[in-house]
This record gives sequence, structure tokens and C-alpha cells, in this order.
Amino acid sequence: MPPAEISAAHVIDLLIDQQIVDPSEPLTAESDLFACGMDSLAMMQLLLHLERVFAVRVQPEEMTRERFATAGKLAEWLTGRKSIPV
Amino acid sequence: MTDAADIIVAGGGSAGIAAALAAARAGARTVLLERQSTLGGMGSHALVHTFCGLYHPDVSQGPRFLNGGIAEEIGLEMMRRTGQTGPDLMGRVYVLRQHPTLFAGLADELCRAEGNLKRVSGAEWVALTREDGGWRIEMMNQGLRRTLKCRAVVDTTGDATGARLLNPALCEQAEGARLYRPAYVCVFHEVRPLTDDNWRLTLGAAIVRAVKEGRLPGAAMGSGFRASPFAGEVFLTIDLEAGEAHWDPFDPVKRAQVEEEGRGTALALWRFLRAEQARFQGCPPPMLPAQAGIRESARYRGDYVITGEDLAASRQFEDNVALAGWPMEKRENARGPKFRYFDRPEPAGIPARCLKNSGVPGLFFAGRCLSADHEALASLRVMGTCMATGEAAGKLAVDFVAGR
Repeated sequence: MPPAEISAAHVIDLLIDQQIVDPSEPLTAESDLFACGMDSLAMMQLLLHLERVFAVRVQPEEMTRERFATAGKLAEWLTGRKSIPV
Repeated sequence: MTDAADIIVAGGGSAGIAAALAAARAGARTVLLERQSTLGGMGSHALVHTFCGLYHPDVSQGPRFLNGGIAEEIGLEMMRRTGQTGPDLMGRVYVLRQHPTLFAGLADELCRAEGNLKRVSGAEWVALTREDGGWRIEMMNQGLRRTLKCRAVVDTTGDATGARLLNPALCEQAEGARLYRPAYVCVFHEVRPLTDDNWRLTLGAAIVRAVKEGRLPGAAMGSGFRASPFAGEVFLTIDLEAGEAHWDPFDPVKRAQVEEEGRGTALALWRFLRAEQARFQGCPPPMLPAQAGIRESARYRGDYVITGEDLAASRQFEDNVALAGWPMEKRENARGPKFRYFDRPEPAGIPARCLKNSGVPGLFFAGRCLSADHEALASLRVMGTCMATGEAAGKLAVDFVAGR
């Protein structure tokens, strides 16, 4: 299956489909993922699925709370660095 | 040994410590029965290193103790002994880091200060029967069966042991697939300073990479790290799938498998961290817990079964005896918690009816085995709340013995 196009909507789909967060309100591109209950364990799951679905490879030192704060920020950051080969 | 007491508290975890202190301080001759050699329950044997449920859920007002009493007393003393000035804000809730060794020591001191309180350790509770209007408890201690008699029993075993001994219809247990997963916690020492805010995420990503490349077992995906209040010390918590739908905390073979998987994963992580993470290069092997942390097993059916809906609605009861403020932190798998917050940042009441069953007068229960549904347990099982329900059950037992 070809990698999915990186977008906030696709990141949100992944967060819901893989039950990485279980928000009380619908997730938007601006929802604070940490306030929705994402912890370091959920973040590891997210990373696993991100790399699989979007065919990206995130280096450990690239992991910051800012980049993963919302689906929108995450999609924007991943799009900007997608040229890094898998 | 046949001994008479007013009240026997069975189980020396956070609920049992509070129940025994409350009973002894009210003047009841109290015996605190503990299966292991130290007090503290999950907070010492399983190395659970946070007190959750101590604070009011409205964090906008700063940290405020929710229940007062023994929970506040222990919280304040733990803060002093660990050199913390307050709890940590974790997402939308306050959490106080606690130290398992200091908790065991503090429990010793608090119990020793009560002349009415006698401790029995290394004792497995094996029988509960009605006798002369009171209770007869039998325990096994190094192959010897001993009997204790009392007027009232407080079951703070976390496993509803009294119900399973007396009448299993008094308790219930969720099916294996839904039970909250066990956690294996170990402690690393001589970790170099964790200066950057993203160290937990960086470590998590390194573990994901190593699992994908087959250098760590899949169970390492359940890993979470938390810095101790003491420099150089880091706790590693590994949530385990524990056989998924086949998990049964009362099956000794499955328990052994979980313990072995926890140890194996902890040691694999130690080797990995030492080899690949500069901060962990000088770490000796991690200290292991006496047992895996159990989040859910069996609980009583009391006169009322408090529900997740009650908590979400911050419902109050005429017979409130304690308050709950921790969100429902559901861990039905090892892939991270699912939080259900209360609808409003207001605490919910816990009624006395959740700590007793009128069919068995003189038997009270608190802590993780109080009368709650599976959803509500995700909130009520935490140590801060266990201290509050334990204290309340101890007081109910005192009132019962006094004929009130």
C-alpha cells in the first residue's frame, strides 16, 4: 500500500483508528493532544503508526512536545521533513 | 495463637494503613494483617511511585488536598521527606511523586506511634467465619495456621479476599480482556542528569526503533519513565499485556508468567539503555519490585455500586464518606491510558454504602476492592483515594464495634 498523504486529517484518523487517544470531544487539527490524554506510552504507539502509514522515519532526538502538540503541528512538521529517506 | 482484637484490617497497603490508623486512633484494639514483610502495598512492593487522587480536580485553583485526614498527613510528610515543594501538574491533574522506600518507613513510624495497633506480617489470610457475633480469621504463617478473633473486619487486600473466603457471591471481577493491565516497575540508579524536557519522548522513540529492529522485545513498547525526586534515580514502568483476554490475576501460573515477562523486559531494557543511551551508561542492574503492580482484580458488591456515570457527574451522596477526584484512567491494554475526566472539575462523593454490605454486618472494605463498577474503579483504585476510603472504612468499623 502506498504511503498516505500527510495531513492533519490523516493524523487525526490515525489517532482515532489506532485508539491512541480517546478524546471526550471530536479532535481537531488544533486539539492539544497532551490534554487529550496522550502520554509517552501513547506517543510511542503514535510514532510506530506514523512511520508505517506515512513512510517517514523520525529520529529520537527529533521528538519534542512542541512538534507533537497538535495534529496540525505534527502534519506540518512531517511534511516539511519528508524528504529524509526511510 | 488465638488473639482478640476489636478490629482486624487485612492488607497493609495504602487503604489498610489508613484504616488501621483511623481505627487505632479512635481507641479500637486493632490488628493490621500483612502478607508481605513491609507495609505500603503497591506503593512499596510494586514500586508504584506516584500518589494520585490526593488533590482537588480543579487545578485552576492550585493544588488543594481533596480529603484531608490521613491522605493529607501522608501526602505532606512524603513531600517533606522527598524535598518536594508540591505536586507535579501532569496534563490536567496533580500528581505527587512518592518514594516506595520512604513510604514503607513512614508507614512503620505511623503504626508504631499507635499503642492500640499491632502488626502481623508474613501472614496469608486463609479463612473467614462468623463466630459469637464477631469474626474468626485464620491465617497461615510459615506453615502454621493461626486464629484471630475480632468484632469487625476491614478488607483492604485489594482482591476482596474476605468475600472469596466467605461467599464468592459477595464479589465480582471483570473478564480478562477488560481487566486493567498489570504494571511492572523497576528502579534505575546512577542515571546522569535529565536536563532536557523531552528526555522521555526521546527515550520512547529510541525504544520504538529498537523494538522495530528486533533489538528489544515487543513488551518494551509498554515502557514509561519518571524521574524520582532523588537525583540519579529513574523509575521505569512497563505496562504488560499479560496474555490479553487470558489474563487472570488469581491464576498463579499466569502471575508467574507476568512476573517473568516483567523481569525479562526490564533486564533487556537495562542492557539496551546501557549500550545505547549515554545517560544510562553507568547504571547498575535495576532494582526489581517484590511483585508486579496489580491495577484490578476482584471487588466487593456492597449496598451500592458506584459507577463511572456517578463520578463523571460529580455526584454527591447523603452518606458521602470520601471524595474522588482522579479521572477514570483506563488501562485495558498496554498501549497507554484512556482518560475519562469528570464532566466538571468537581470531586465526586463516595458513599459509605460502597464500603459495606448489610448482608454481612461488621465486614467493611476499602481501597481497590471497594464496591464500584469497572469504569469507576479506574479512578478509585489510586493510592490517594485508597487512603481516603481506607480511613473511612476504619471509622465505620469503629462505629460498628461501638454499637453506633
